[in-house]
Amino acid sequence: MSKAPGDQGDLVRVNFDFRRELARKVEGNLAGFCYQCGACVGDCPATTYGSDFNPREIMLKVLYGLGEELLVEDSILWQCTNCYNCHERCPQDVKPVEVIISLKNMLADLGIYPGPVEKLINMVETTGRTTPLNPAVDRQRARFDLPPLPPVPMEEIRKLIEPASDAQSSPPEAGNPKAES
Amino acid sequence: MKRFAFFPGCLIPVRYPAMEYAIRYTLPRLGIEIVDLEGASCCPDPIYFKSKDKLSWLAVAARNLTLAEDLGLDVFTNCSGCTATLSETYHLLQDEALRAKVNERLKRIGREYRGTSRVRHIATVVRDEAGYDAVRDSVVRPLEGLKVAIHYGCHLLKPSRIMQVDDPNNPTVMEHLVTALGATPVRHRNWYLCCGKACQTDEIPSNMMRDLLSTVSDVQADILGMICPTCFGQFDFGQMKVSQQFGEDFHTPPIYYFQLLAFAQGMPYQKLGVERHRFKPECLRRFETAASPAQTE
Repeated sequence: MSKAPGDQGDLVRVNFDFRRELARKVEGNLAGFCYQCGACVGDCPATTYGSDFNPREIMLKVLYGLGEELLVEDSILWQCTNCYNCHERCPQDVKPVEVIISLKNMLADLGIYPGPVEKLINMVETTGRTTPLNPAVDRQRARFDLPPLPPVPMEEIRKLIEPASDAQSSPPEAGNPKAES
Repeated sequence: MKRFAFFPGCLIPVRYPAMEYAIRYTLPRLGIEIVDLEGASCCPDPIYFKSKDKLSWLAVAARNLTLAEDLGLDVFTNCSGCTATLSETYHLLQDEALRAKVNERLKRIGREYRGTSRVRHIATVVRDEAGYDAVRDSVVRPLEGLKVAIHYGCHLLKPSRIMQVDDPNNPTVMEHLVTALGATPVRHRNWYLCCGKACQTDEIPSNMMRDLLSTVSDVQADILGMICPTCFGQFDFGQMKVSQQFGEDFHTPPIYYFQLLAFAQGMPYQKLGVERHRFKPECLRRFETAASPAQTE
């Protein structure tokens, strides 16, 4: 394979902006410690039982800053089973599953969710529970001598999940958890 | 009586109240007093809500923990997902900078997270506060000969440094708890697998569940011993779905451990609330008429 001098067509240019933005998420900076050993792959059920998912490749894309391959509709990130085997196996404490969740936080910033995920998030944000209450639930509970479930104090929950007012203007300091607020 | 704040989460009190009933039946018999947490919300869930914004997730979780701090009690959960959220929050908020950030949010509602309440999973509360012998002594209906395939699931054990429950590569807590009922735990080749619930595709959970259930069939387990309500759903409705999808006849009834314990402690089969299960644990009925030499009530 020959190339003209200066032809860098096949070279990956690391997108540091993407990595800095990821690093602003809680534990989003951990991928930087990945040395691509692949310990996360062997025990990954999504790798074993699926056809595309490979946590080492996802960490590599993060290292290169290839956000445009990960932050898309129907992203491969949603194939993660959240089993935490990779967290358990990683010799570098990269916590690949946490990096993947931080990437999902970036997807959320773009407003991209699979339908069922968005539905559950909305449920928690409006009712404080993943599973809706209704009169049938109280009747079921009464069968087992259990009292009706009290409503969640949603005023408090709403105040808590409101982003900090200056969140958007904070300086992008990688790995510094103070950077966001 | 040892007192613990009870964090019930969403799934068990809303969808599976029979599991909550079993918990409230069994724990006092083991010397553990349940103190209800007023004003608790979703933990929030470690899959979906956490995917949106980890900081909001931590803030809502920390609020739940402050409710237990107000009571001066450690908190226990009955769901592995809730345990994951609350344990991880407890762990992450040992970082001062992150704790300050979360407390900035909590200040909006006049609360402060201090990190004074430890998080426990119900299985470890029974193991560490009551002990296996107390479980054995509470049994009036030993489940002799019942082969239980235990499904640990993921979040009870992992990440092990945060959960601090058991060795994730060779856990024993559920085997001991099942043995204390007089039953026989059977470990199959795929015992460590995930239930697949969090995965947003069909292919992976279906293939995985098929493989897992095949090995459960191979060891001829009578029942699946569950410790997480999310996993339970995957083995109940999910087992039916996978059977249809692959033309298999999987039919091992799943049951939450504390319902099994309640039954062994003498709760009538009719009170177990298994009518809505796709696979009824009819195999338990043979113990209903068994003599109960340890009967004390």
